[in-house]
Amino acid sequence: MAAPRTPAAAPPSLWDPVVRITHWGIAVSVLVNAALDEGGSLLHVSLGWLVMALLLLRLVWGVLGPGEARFSAFPPNPVAALRHLGQLASGKGVRHYPSHNPAGAMMAYAFWACLALVTVTGLVMTGGATPMQVADEKAAVASGDWSALIKESDGESSEDEDNSLRHTAEEVHEVVANLLLILAALHVAGVLVEARTMRRNLVAPMLLGQRRK
Amino acid sequence: MTVSPDIATAGRRQTAALSVFLVVQTLGTVFFVGDVIGDLRADPLSIHFIFEAVVTAALVLGILFGTFALRRTIELLRAQDQALAVARGALSDVIDRQFQAWALTPAERDVGFLALKGLDVAEIAELRGAAQGTVRAQLTRIYSKAGVSGRAQFAAFFVEDLLGAGVPEASA
Repeated sequence: MAAPRTPAAAPPSLWDPVVRITHWGIAVSVLVNAALDEGGSLLHVSLGWLVMALLLLRLVWGVLGPGEARFSAFPPNPVAALRHLGQLASGKGVRHYPSHNPAGAMMAYAFWACLALVTVTGLVMTGGATPMQVADEKAAVASGDWSALIKESDGESSEDEDNSLRHTAEEVHEVVANLLLILAALHVAGVLVEARTMRRNLVAPMLLGQRRK
Repeated sequence: MTVSPDIATAGRRQTAALSVFLVVQTLGTVFFVGDVIGDLRADPLSIHFIFEAVVTAALVLGILFGTFALRRTIELLRAQDQALAVARGALSDVIDRQFQAWALTPAERDVGFLALKGLDVAEIAELRGAAQGTVRAQLTRIYSKAGVSGRAQFAAFFVEDLLGAGVPEASA
């Protein structure tokens, strides 16, 4: 038997499926796109669109979802976040929160901001091409039709503007992607520290909950 | 307190299936909208685009309703979970108080609980590591303290309370 549930004080013993699916879907996609595939490849663009869809769903869920998944359960509060980190460091006065702890909440918002930035700049870089269009384009180039690589333009000046915009987007895309990896490392470290200090398994609720029996 | 495993599992499966469906729906909508925006840049005022815009609106509304329905399902399951836990707690409180009122010994209380759970003499004896004769004697003492004729009436004593006007407050 699991411990009695005290809704006010403890985080959920198992996050709802939408939170879990979006969490792991985004985590895996970001890692694959950062480490394994090539920027601009079909897989990279497809995973980027997947991340965009999962992020949008999670944001909708933050408004319409159940209590602990809603933004109102973990408002962004940097002061509380710093206080929580201080308590973790000193090991004194650490308390449980019904949803993410204040530091975890700031991490979630930072993640979402970076993910939004990374997908938007990615869209600018590809000219908003869907994975289907990317696949068509690549198939055309592969069959020897290089015209797919020539972008239609209305005039010289707009093309220049377009190029500089794309260039900026590319820079931002790379910087924010690296930032995402740093955040992910911090996130994992935070989970480990919190689990150790609070003597609580934080990974199980995000996977399948406590295995009984 | 948790719900019995099969109800909990069924609830978890249901919400998981709804969530996966919602994710696929969102994915489809995002791709479709991306395609529509591409069309929009090509030819904004065609019938084709107007039709696609209507479909997009329907898809987005579908996601919002799906999200809302999923939230309701999750909250309903939690409410049932809690209601069942409360009901269980209340029933075992009632039984406890009644056992006290009958002045059962701790051993008799244990045996009484197991008997109420539907275990037979052999099973109770095995669980408690006692001889079957001991358990039979304890049951007889319980029935006589409670003033009931046997196991059926003993169990009915508590069911009757539930069938009446819900679970009554302390009768001790």
